Amino acid sequence: HSSKRSLTKIYAYGHDQDQRKFWLALILTSVTLQDIRNTVGNIPMEWYKDYPHIGYDLDGKKIFKPIRNKDELDEFLDKMENPDYWRTVQDKMTGADIRLSDEQVDLVHRLQEGKFGDVNFNEYEPAIDFFSNEVMIHPVTNRPQDKRSFIPSLIEKEKVGKLVHAIKMGWIKPRRPKETTPQYYDLWAKEDPNSILGRHKMHVPAPKLKLPGHEESYNPPPEYLMSEEERLAWEQQDPEDRKLSFLPQKFACLRAVPAYSRFIHERFERCLDLYLCPRQRKMRVNVNPEDLIPKLPKPKDLQPFPTTQSLVYRGHSSLVRSISTSPSGQWLVSGSDDCTVRFWEVSTARCLKTVEVGGAVKGVAWNPNPSICLVAISYDDTVVLLNPGLGDRLVSTATDQLISSYEEPEEVKEQPVQWTVAEGEGHEQGHRLILKHPKAVRQVTWHGKGDYLACVMPDNGSSLQVVIHQVSKRRTQNPFRKNKGLVQCVSFHPIRPYFFVATQRYVRVYNLIKQELTKKLMANCKWISSMATHPGGDNVICGSYDCRLAWFDLDLSTKPYKVLRHHKKALRSVAYHRHYPLFASGSDDGSVIVCHGMVYNDLLQNPLIVPVKVLKGHTITHDLGVLDVTFHPTQPWVFSSGADGTVRLFT
Amino acid sequence: MSQVQARFFTENTKYLIDDVPFSIPAASEVVDLSGVINKLLEAKNDGHKHVEFDFLVRGQFLRTSLANHMETENISTEEVVEIEYVEKFTAPQPEECIMHDDWISSVEADSEWILTGSFDKTARIWSMEGKAVMTVAGHTDVNLFNGLSSLLLTASLDQTIMLWEWNSERNKVKARHCCRGHAGSVDTVAVDPTRTKFCSGSWDKMLKIWSAVPTEEEDEIEEPNRPRKKQKTEQMGLTRTPLMTFSGHNEAVSSVLWMDAEELCSASWDHTIRLWDAETGGQKNTITGSKVFSCISYSPLCRRLASGSTDRHVRLWDPRSKDGYLVLLSLTSHNGWVTAVRWSPSHEHQLVSGSLDNVVKLWDTRSCKAPLYDLAAHEDKVMCVDWTENGLILSGGADNKLYTYRYSACVSDAGA
Repeated sequence: HSSKRSLTKIYAYGHDQDQRKFWLALILTSVTLQDIRNTVGNIPMEWYKDYPHIGYDLDGKKIFKPIRNKDELDEFLDKMENPDYWRTVQDKMTGADIRLSDEQVDLVHRLQEGKFGDVNFNEYEPAIDFFSNEVMIHPVTNRPQDKRSFIPSLIEKEKVGKLVHAIKMGWIKPRRPKETTPQYYDLWAKEDPNSILGRHKMHVPAPKLKLPGHEESYNPPPEYLMSEEERLAWEQQDPEDRKLSFLPQKFACLRAVPAYSRFIHERFERCLDLYLCPRQRKMRVNVNPEDLIPKLPKPKDLQPFPTTQSLVYRGHSSLVRSISTSPSGQWLVSGSDDCTVRFWEVSTARCLKTVEVGGAVKGVAWNPNPSICLVAISYDDTVVLLNPGLGDRLVSTATDQLISSYEEPEEVKEQPVQWTVAEGEGHEQGHRLILKHPKAVRQVTWHGKGDYLACVMPDNGSSLQVVIHQVSKRRTQNPFRKNKGLVQCVSFHPIRPYFFVATQRYVRVYNLIKQELTKKLMANCKWISSMATHPGGDNVICGSYDCRLAWFDLDLSTKPYKVLRHHKKALRSVAYHRHYPLFASGSDDGSVIVCHGMVYNDLLQNPLIVPVKVLKGHTITHDLGVLDVTFHPTQPWVFSSGADGTVRLFT
Repeated sequence: MSQVQARFFTENTKYLIDDVPFSIPAASEVVDLSGVINKLLEAKNDGHKHVEFDFLVRGQFLRTSLANHMETENISTEEVVEIEYVEKFTAPQPEECIMHDDWISSVEADSEWILTGSFDKTARIWSMEGKAVMTVAGHTDVNLFNGLSSLLLTASLDQTIMLWEWNSERNKVKARHCCRGHAGSVDTVAVDPTRTKFCSGSWDKMLKIWSAVPTEEEDEIEEPNRPRKKQKTEQMGLTRTPLMTFSGHNEAVSSVLWMDAEELCSASWDHTIRLWDAETGGQKNTITGSKVFSCISYSPLCRRLASGSTDRHVRLWDPRSKDGYLVLLSLTSHNGWVTAVRWSPSHEHQLVSGSLDNVVKLWDTRSCKAPLYDLAAHEDKVMCVDWTENGLILSGGADNKLYTYRYSACVSDAGA
């Protein structure tokens, strides 16, 4: 009975199926084998597996396992034949077979179905609910209320009095109104975004240590090992200058490497590096190298300038030393080493006239005055003034009249040059005046008004190198008393009474009225070959035999404003255009380089010089290329004469 | 794109075909298209002979394959392409080569005679067959030439213009007038359409208008050396002074022509072409270019001016346009200065140009990329070209030769 009770209880606890089985086995043990109770306790019974006994009874005697000699066949027969086989279980504690009684089987069935073990137990008995929501007339408990629940509390009164007093005294203040501002805020709201970015950008990581290289190996490749001299040199170097702070060494094996003596020292230096490292970003200036080059306008925007060879004036049989255009731009005169002077029509390249003279022509110059038709030609020691008879007939006859109307002055001065009037055949050819000089004349140039003519007779030994002739009065003067070097070329200032004289290395500017030296320009070159004056008069270009072209701004300095080294060989001639901002230079390399040379009226603005075109056409003969260049007076065209006996027009 | 829808049409009634669109291969070229048209014509009329055609797509000559042309001209291939066909212009046939003693500076021809001016200070009259008929010598310098039937004009570097009377039956030339007044070489003369006046342009920047009617009176001029002039009048004819002088050019006048009886046009070295009112002498319009103008020609058929300048382009201008900078068309193929241009007198699209690169080119304005024909007969600079009404092209140059070419295409074209 008692076991039944406990079973019921047990059942109430263990709902789990396995637990239930366990408890069941336990109950059965305790129920069926009262007399042979095993005292081994709750131990795994397989501990007694290898023993003949299974435990000990109350008296301390061994409980022996029942003899089990049934084999599988017996088992099977038993199963077939024994009607109680299904209710026979083995007691683990004793090993004996137990046949379950009907009640026990019933109990097992009930438990298996999940019911209470006790048949009579009703789990749904009716219950009386004391603490319900219904109010009853009688209290649940019969205890009367305490007295203290009717009397006000003294302690509380005392406490309240204290608080009231404190309030009265102002010790307790009324609660402050709660602040409405939120307790949290945007930490970075007011921060300058740039500073954040800047902080991130400007982060400078600690300098990295150099990674060890092969030279630091204990067994470096032989090329890293220093030779004896290198080692000596290393030792003599200042420690700061050394490329390596140690000597690479070779050891037989890693085991042989000694402790590194400078370890502490190096660590210390590293720490010092980190500590003293200037944590500042170096602002490297990012400059595009092309931005540093001054912005020059494109040649395309500087048009017009000559670009192509248009006409070739053929006829001379030897080098053409000098060319000059008529002031109207209709004619061109060229003087050559074949002892002829040819007159050409510019637009058709037609040779209209050929005048033979007595020697290789060194220089020709057309009188720039449009009302005088005269061409100065120099050969050997002679300068011939020639009237070509081209252009306006009236001008031509007026020029002849001007020359023939000359009257001999009463007192004849001794002149260095002999003036004679051409007659006979020479006059037929157009020769008007012949000037015999004491020496060979190299260059002739007219003053802008057309009355004065300057001739150059280069000679280092004499003071008579430059003479200025006045055609209308047939007078010659020697402006310089002293010889200041070999004169290369001369030029008149186009507006003011200045006179430019180029010697080998200097250009001297003389004031002809005051008769004094105004300026001395240093060309920074070895040998000036040619010179041209800007029509405005404030700029001069000089070509030199050492391939340079120097541009002088007379207002700026006596040194060249700009030196251009575009030619590969000696420059022979330079020229300015009269109207267009162009200048050209001809050289022995057979090319003519045309540059844009803009001179501004504004004194603060420096001239703009842009090389725009290399014109090639002349063939190089006897190592000579272009000998003379000159511009067309009205059009942006340039003429060049060369050693190949041609004159070319580039437009 | 392999096939293109095309409709062919022509203005020449002789070669009319049905007006239906055809599908033709896009890669077909002129020869293929010509074959197509010829086949169609053969199918239509039995007696058809093979004719070479040229094709115009939207007013431009077809020179490459049709697909190429339409791509460059931006013509949609979706639509039916209108293709006009004309009989192919045959190449000008060289006829004569007339030798001169010196460079030929100018040439002028009518249906019977050829007049040439030369650098040897003479002017010559030639028959069409190249026979020298007459040599007019009298100038002291290079000649330019302009003729009005029996009256001839020669202008010279010696600053004068001579008016000659030529009796072709007796073959005699008499100097009637010597026109003095220019202060520079006279580079160009032009006779007005009424043939009573002529205009001359000179290096002295002036244009002068003279009377072209020979009279027996001598104009009085104030000249300082009177006796010398008196002596000359016997051989040189009576002196004549200009009726009118137009000044306005800043540089030499290179070419002058009459657009009609009241309007003059002159080209100059100062990069301008100016239009003048011949009655009042006022300037009507100025066309400004960027280069020196060396020659101009005007076609009354298409009302366009063609100009040659000291670069390689022949430019076409509209003389009526107020915007004087606009080049209508630039014909570029020459390699040297264009020294002479001349419109065809009978065809509104064709002109001929001569250049310093020794080549005379025949152009059609409908094919501006390339000339129709290159006439490369000259061995030296071409100085002058002319084009007569009866289809003769003449060109003279610095190789002392005057070439004539027979050009017949304009006869069959457009029913002219």
